[in-house]
Amino acid sequence: MSYDGFLPFISAQLQYLLNHYPHTIQIEQARSGTRYFPGSLDRFTLLIPYCQDHMKWDVIYNAEFPLAAPDVIFGAEDEDFHPFHVVCGEDGDSRLVKNSLTDWNNKDPTRLLALVIELRDKYRSYQEKRVGEVDDDRLKFEISTIVSREGIEMHMSSGFEKPEEVKFAVPLMDMNINKMVSACPWRHPQKIYLQVIYPVGRKYASAPSAPRLKLMCTPELKALFSIDDVKLPPWLDGMCMAEYLPHLEELLQRLVIEAVTLIDVRRQFIEALAPLLGRPLEADPVFCRKASFLVCSGPFTFMLHVFLSTNFPKQQPSLMLQSTQHFNSLGMPVKSPLITEYPWSPRWETSQMADRISDFLVDESLNFKRHCNESHLQY
Amino acid sequence: MDDLPFQKITISGPTLSALMHRIATSLGDVDGLLFGHVTRLTPSTLTDDNTPQNPDSDLVATITSFFCPNIPLSFYDSLGRVDSATLHRLVSSTTHQSNSSSSSSNFLGWFSARRKSPIRPSMREFCVSQSLSRLKTAAKGDKDLNPCVFLLFTTPVHGEMLYHTHEYRAYQFQVNSRCFEPKTIAIDNIGPDFRGNYGCFSPNSPFPELKCASAMNDEAGEDLNRMERVSKDQKELDMVAEGFCVGDLGKLMGSETVNSTMSLEDLYEKMLGKLDNLARQVEKSNAKVLEMENHNRKLRYKIARPVPE
Repeated sequence: MSYDGFLPFISAQLQYLLNHYPHTIQIEQARSGTRYFPGSLDRFTLLIPYCQDHMKWDVIYNAEFPLAAPDVIFGAEDEDFHPFHVVCGEDGDSRLVKNSLTDWNNKDPTRLLALVIELRDKYRSYQEKRVGEVDDDRLKFEISTIVSREGIEMHMSSGFEKPEEVKFAVPLMDMNINKMVSACPWRHPQKIYLQVIYPVGRKYASAPSAPRLKLMCTPELKALFSIDDVKLPPWLDGMCMAEYLPHLEELLQRLVIEAVTLIDVRRQFIEALAPLLGRPLEADPVFCRKASFLVCSGPFTFMLHVFLSTNFPKQQPSLMLQSTQHFNSLGMPVKSPLITEYPWSPRWETSQMADRISDFLVDESLNFKRHCNESHLQY
Repeated sequence: MDDLPFQKITISGPTLSALMHRIATSLGDVDGLLFGHVTRLTPSTLTDDNTPQNPDSDLVATITSFFCPNIPLSFYDSLGRVDSATLHRLVSSTTHQSNSSSSSSNFLGWFSARRKSPIRPSMREFCVSQSLSRLKTAAKGDKDLNPCVFLLFTTPVHGEMLYHTHEYRAYQFQVNSRCFEPKTIAIDNIGPDFRGNYGCFSPNSPFPELKCASAMNDEAGEDLNRMERVSKDQKELDMVAEGFCVGDLGKLMGSETVNSTMSLEDLYEKMLGKLDNLARQVEKSNAKVLEMENHNRKLRYKIARPVPE
């Protein structure tokens, strides 16, 4: 994201926000409110993560009056959220109140970050209060047992013509995944969350239904661990979260440790390919999910891209061939489709896996060369 | 204090278009004060039964004028806390200008206009409205003076530059429940359909009450006194007409009414002349204001865009 077009002081505050906020924040819809200079951007939408979802908050600066503090417009669902309403002075003595908007200084780049953090904290308290007010015995019990978990977030959704629901995002496992990966490239701490959605119960419902459960994780974790492949343990009748979570955490812990050991298995496989295909041109050194080799078949040279899933070696690598000599009408190198079916067994030794791929390539390179020549002739 | 919910908020077409013009021509986001009056609708259907009518729904707030200081945060700070001294200054100067003797321009509330933003009250707008409602309740218990009206103007976030699209919404701030209550906004235009709305209309600038005309017929008493009165009346007449002599007013009535049509036309012409002159003065002063505004803008840009060294 470039900050071109923002006034220098807004751009400095934005940059500081994006670099120092503990989670990933996105900026959307940068626009200008000035009449004569539609190029000087002074308002934008921030996508702030909350409860495994995003809140869209509009931040409105005023390019014509740079000294004025920005204003914030919250989401349409949150019209009752008034973070600073108490400061308007119940007792008339409002000068003592201090928050991130008092004494606004547009030259201080840390101000926007401080404002966003303060508002988000207040939003969290606001949602906790709303959820706490819901008249539902099961929910009250669940909250009392898990509220002490660090980092838990909750959200009450009650849109027009939508059933009332309470959503929890429960951070799982007190383990630092970043530390388990050597040469870890992640800037933000990676976490797995369980999203639990309870429909707000009607008094006459006899047996409360199971909540909707979904595992979620921070986006970068997907390079190591595929959260979608985890099969959640069943939710038994009459269960509560305090019972359910320990089993799930145990399971996930095992899976994450296994996923970390699989990095080495993938590394060994890539290393085993090197004697047969030559040193890789390029390889993913941290997670070992991808490697590219330059391969010759007689006078025909092509690149071989090997993509390894997190389930390797259970799932065989996908291959793609890319010619270094043939181009299509757009000037792009001719590529083969992803090849996912060729002789494979997860029980083979690593060296045997590499051998078999090398064997497979002998025939496949001829096919690919024919394909390249044909598509080349068409243009 | 109890909240008295309005049935609707009305604004006359010319006021709305003047307001929109002001907003559209402003450099950036602006806000300002709204003036007008609150009236109680006479129920159109009378029934015999004694069921109490809903008292909520017969109040109508009518916006008749506005004041736009052309700078943001003019009467409140970045937290939305109203500065009562500044507000008082702005309100009193505006109500004095528009003839404070008529009760038609009470301080009703405020408006905020921001381009390319969602049409929902913002964090600060909420605080300002809340602060306003507190301030007045604390000052005096006058129900009509609770400045709870809020008009919000925006342009679409994805708006194209080729079209001018204005979105607006009216709200009433509820003190007790601390929330904005959306209200329908009705535009009063001139025409037979809107005649009902002008039933209680009283002009803002009535013709001055002159005793002179009748005094002319009195036996000439003390000359000095009379001359003083005439010159005073002439001054008042000059406020509405350009160069119409007080003495000629006598021709509009009494025995000399034969030529009254001509005299009346003459009076109207001179009144138009006055308006013309006023318009010219406004044009000149506007040019001066624009010049000063540009100067201020340059100064502000110096702060916003530091010159690279």
